[in-house]
Amino acid sequence: MTAQMFFIGFFGLAGVWFGIVVFRTYSMVRSALALLFSQTALGAMFLSMEAEFLGVLQIMMMATEMSIMAIFMVMFMMDPGGLGTMDMTHQKRLSLITGFVSFVAAVLVAVFVDWGPVATSFPDAAQQTVDLGLELLNRSMLIFEMAGVTILTSMIAATAVAIQPVKRKQKQ
Amino acid sequence: MTTLLIVLLLIAGAYFVAVLEAWISTGRFQLSAPLLAGIALLGRESNLPRKPDRIFFEVGPVLLLLSGLLAATVIPLTPNLIIADLATGALFINAALVYVLVALLMAGWGPDGAYAMVGGWRFLGQLIAYAMLIVMPITAVAMRAESLLSTQIVISQASLWNIVYQPLGFILFFIASMALAFLPPFDMMIAKGELAGGVEAEYTGIRLAVFRLGRLVLIITLAAATVVFYLGGWQGPWLPPWAWSAIKILAVAATMLLAGRYMPRIREAHLLSWCWILGIPLALINILIVGILVLEFP
Repeated sequence: MTAQMFFIGFFGLAGVWFGIVVFRTYSMVRSALALLFSQTALGAMFLSMEAEFLGVLQIMMMATEMSIMAIFMVMFMMDPGGLGTMDMTHQKRLSLITGFVSFVAAVLVAVFVDWGPVATSFPDAAQQTVDLGLELLNRSMLIFEMAGVTILTSMIAATAVAIQPVKRKQKQ
Repeated sequence: MTTLLIVLLLIAGAYFVAVLEAWISTGRFQLSAPLLAGIALLGRESNLPRKPDRIFFEVGPVLLLLSGLLAATVIPLTPNLIIADLATGALFINAALVYVLVALLMAGWGPDGAYAMVGGWRFLGQLIAYAMLIVMPITAVAMRAESLLSTQIVISQASLWNIVYQPLGFILFFIASMALAFLPPFDMMIAKGELAGGVEAEYTGIRLAVFRLGRLVLIITLAAATVVFYLGGWQGPWLPPWAWSAIKILAVAATMLLAGRYMPRIREAHLLSWCWILGIPLALINILIVGILVLEFP
């Protein structure tokens, strides 16, 4: 139990630290990979909490996503290496206020919400995976199918918008 | 104890892969060649580029080695010789191997060199091509085993190996794992003739030694994963389980190395078209066929 608490705390702090690093560096690749390691730390927290499937999934998905984000940041930012002197932060007052308000809100939610009794018994990792699969294909199927189709549609729409229209030859 | 034994076996396997690779590419069979090359690398000066991203530069090769080792933790060599029989084993292999990409991006970006960086980004393009062809065949394998436990996947092949049960999945997984291990013909990111070594270009000395060791461990891990998923793992007549595992893993690794020798290199953009236009539909068909087979002939 103590070891579990230690690792949850450790990975939680690591996640927060990497989250801070995201905004403390001017290198776009460093920033993207810091975000990746912040998310990996969250995955490790899931693992510490014995939610094995969620943890492994989080660790797997984030690596690809953040790497792809890195290449887009390198493509579109003016100074992807962060070696210049350009200041890339903006709207500082607004972000300070928003950050502070969300932090206070999160703390208030964590402290004041009635989370119910702590579970004393829970299924083992293999059973959790089975339960999750049944849940996804039973009660939650409609929700996930809707989400999947929505994401697919927006991907196709975004690609269609991004492609340059090909000029067709006018018939004489 | 198990951990130590498996790490030693992995290193022995990696050594054998190095011997095989040299044999296949130079035509000379020399058992001492990797040892001598390793000693030579360790003896050389390990240069630092002029303006490196130091953290990435140092972490890249180590992360490559680490992701191969982590993936190997869930691979059973015998029914009992496995470091961690995770309930999400088949998924975990994939999760660990995705960090090969992160390692190569770091190693490519870190030294602040054009060739290395081009190599690193090329691997990202390659990942988008092969990633689905790793995951989807594994899905079909897990469907037959009705489990993500890697030992359960091996046991599910007792009557018939998956290479016969789902040959399409095997072919796709085999090609995708060659692309993951950036073996020829998918080795554009370390292309010797074109990018002067690509991701490897700026590494020398002990850092290069770690990088190359990481790649060898990756090859042997992927060969082991192929054996577990498709070739019945430790199962086989007469010989003890560990011997079957060893023979099969080395045979798969040798096939991977040999197959690449006779193919022209494939650019990652072309690989992307092939994988998405042909590979992913085939993988989906594979899942459909296996689904029907599992329902009809369990």
